Amino acid sequence: MLKNYFKIAIAVLKRRKFFTFISLFGISFTLTILLVLTAFIDKVVGDNYPDKKRDRSLYVSRISQSGKNTMQSGPPSFYFLDHYARTLKTPVSIGISSGFNGTNTYVNNKKIAVNYKYTNAEYWEILEYDFVEGKPFGKKEVDNADKVAVISTDMKKEYFGDGGSVVGQYIEADNVKYRVIGVVKNVPITSYMLYSDIYLPYTVAKDQGYKNNKSYGGGYFGILLARSSGDLDKMHDEYEAMIKRLKPEDKMFTTVNSHADTYIKAYVDTGDDKHSGTFIAITAISIFAVIVMLLPTLNLVNINITRIMERSSEIGVRKAFGASSMTLVYQFIVENIILTLLGGLIGIVLSFIALQVINSAHLIANLELTINFTVLFIGLLVCLLFGLLSGVYPAWRMSKLNVVNALKAQ
Amino acid sequence: MFKHLFKLIWNKKKQNFLLMSEMLVSFLVIFAVFTLFVYYYNNYKKPIGFDYNDLWAVSYNNTYKTTNTDSLNTFYENLRATIKSMPLVKEASFCSDNIPFSNNQWTGDVHYKGGTSNADHYTADDNYKNTMNIQVLHGRWFEKADGMAKTTPVIINNSLKDKLFGSEEAVGKLMDEGDAKNSLRVIGVVQGVKAGGDYALARPAIYKRVDTGSFHWLGKIMIRVTPGADAAFESKLYKTMASYMKDSNVEIEHMANKRKSANLWSLIPMIVTSIVACFLIINVAMGLFGVLWYNINKRRGEIGLRRAIGATAKSVSSQLVSEALVLTTFSLIIGTFFAIQFPLLNVFNLEAGIYIVALILSIIFIYLLVTVCALYPGKQAAAIYPAVALHEE
Repeated sequence: MLKNYFKIAIAVLKRRKFFTFISLFGISFTLTILLVLTAFIDKVVGDNYPDKKRDRSLYVSRISQSGKNTMQSGPPSFYFLDHYARTLKTPVSIGISSGFNGTNTYVNNKKIAVNYKYTNAEYWEILEYDFVEGKPFGKKEVDNADKVAVISTDMKKEYFGDGGSVVGQYIEADNVKYRVIGVVKNVPITSYMLYSDIYLPYTVAKDQGYKNNKSYGGGYFGILLARSSGDLDKMHDEYEAMIKRLKPEDKMFTTVNSHADTYIKAYVDTGDDKHSGTFIAITAISIFAVIVMLLPTLNLVNINITRIMERSSEIGVRKAFGASSMTLVYQFIVENIILTLLGGLIGIVLSFIALQVINSAHLIANLELTINFTVLFIGLLVCLLFGLLSGVYPAWRMSKLNVVNALKAQ
Repeated sequence: MFKHLFKLIWNKKKQNFLLMSEMLVSFLVIFAVFTLFVYYYNNYKKPIGFDYNDLWAVSYNNTYKTTNTDSLNTFYENLRATIKSMPLVKEASFCSDNIPFSNNQWTGDVHYKGGTSNADHYTADDNYKNTMNIQVLHGRWFEKADGMAKTTPVIINNSLKDKLFGSEEAVGKLMDEGDAKNSLRVIGVVQGVKAGGDYALARPAIYKRVDTGSFHWLGKIMIRVTPGADAAFESKLYKTMASYMKDSNVEIEHMANKRKSANLWSLIPMIVTSIVACFLIINVAMGLFGVLWYNINKRRGEIGLRRAIGATAKSVSSQLVSEALVLTTFSLIIGTFFAIQFPLLNVFNLEAGIYIVALILSIIFIYLLVTVCALYPGKQAAAIYPAVALHEE
């Protein structure tokens, strides 16, 4: 039976080539746009290099204090993370790193912009960076405030050129010479909590912010690692309880807010508990997706009605020979889904091309968009939804066609 | 004639419903896109307010350890003198870290006679005007004597002046930041700086003079260099500053490059929406074309009859095109009803004029689109031979 429907569908597609083209164009382009969007979101929040232990980590990206008409919000300080978050019992390890900051270095009168980041030793145990060469710095180097650096592959290429190993060589940044002890695979800048060109021990920070700044806010991120993913809730609750006990630093504030959240939640944390970043992001993405899908769907419904009405004689004959409305509806939906899947296939090819173009444009440092199984699966789902949406109404209209009228239209 | 057309369409309202809703949705999408375009173009036309060429921004963090404000001031005054004495440096100025094209923003409300406006707050020294090449429209920029003034002198930009003072003269007036005891005296009005790049508006802004304690938290030096300054000089400047402020991180950025990336970040959404809108429009156009073509083919009998009783080819095709246009008018009336809510309810805080222009543009656009889509099917219908069409019937 399905084989028959398939044959009919192909025959119909071939008959009105212009209409087929319009339908395929609409479906494939809609899918392309959605797939590129999904690939982007998937890369930005779904890619777990280098934090492969996401399932048992919680992230602290913000702390805010608010009063009646005032609010102060920003990443927490090293002191806060080291002093307060350390009191928690559940985390087995706490990785602390500063946000990335920029500086310059000049090699042979060429300027290189460098982003640097300070981390503690545990940071390297929690995160699994791929070391192309060398190794990370440990507790000993941090405690001694050794001038050592882990650099990214991009930085290596820009500073040292295409040479051999650079471990043991010196890199100058911010007028200080650091000994390179490791080279890691690049992290895209969109993973803003983890990205940098140069990673340094926090003890070498020029402003000594880790001991001078005793306030809550200060430009560091924290990653709390639990023993197992089952401990996450416990760790989350313990953190919330700890925050509840904190006193605001100034009289004009009444509450302190900070959350240890999953990566995605921490990623879009705006520091405003009333308008959470997750909610804003999801709303924006959904509105975009609805607009992108609404017009092509309407268009497809229009075209499908036209197509089906053209086939009124066929419907009339089939009805006269006893086919039920349900069978006909079923047939048309199957036909439509075949059409959408065909469009989906083209859409996947198109989005593959689009992603290549976007990647080669280098809009965002180190961001390599790819189609993976998640993206493909979402694409397939969208296709089916699309096929159903645009197929059901025309099929329903058709099934209500009167046999006599349908035959007379001949 | 029109009455007749309306009647024809009303009779087929069920068939036309989907076509109309498609036009309606595409109208709304086009309206949104045009609003964005008009808004950006409107901003782009306005002057940027300062000269970003040969202007460098240096970031540092204050790590000079002293509680003595005088020695702190001397420390930074000496730094400024050192920088200024270098060849190729024209002017240097200390300011707060919310420089143009950066992500830092400091805002607060300012009041004048019951009127309130949110404004960007900048702190800058006496050399800021000449370093940035900001244009003073009324009054003057800060000078040394302002340090002694009883009421804090401030300078505002023309956006804030328009908002708070309207056509009134602003120089010499007193405003405040919510606390009536600490009033601020306006001593000058400057051309607004488009801090978000070419496509952003110059937000209302208020400039305050660097005072004795400011160096505890200031973090930027703006340096105007001569056009010949190259990387070799930059590296020398960098070394000089880094060795003067030993415990500080120093970064030099070129304002011209920062402007480019600021512009890129406003252009990307525009490019993405244009691509998406283009695709939607092509999609809708082909759909309209297909449906109109099919509808007209179905009416061969009717058209043949009209031709047989003497209608010219031209009148037949123009009837079909105007039928499509009447249909469009229906959707546009509904669409305009929705669109007009934006300026009425002041949804995104944009000027009403932007919406009106966008509305007119999108109405014209949709009419053109439908006409183009209906022309070919109309022409085909006109080419029908009455004898053939009637014979088929």
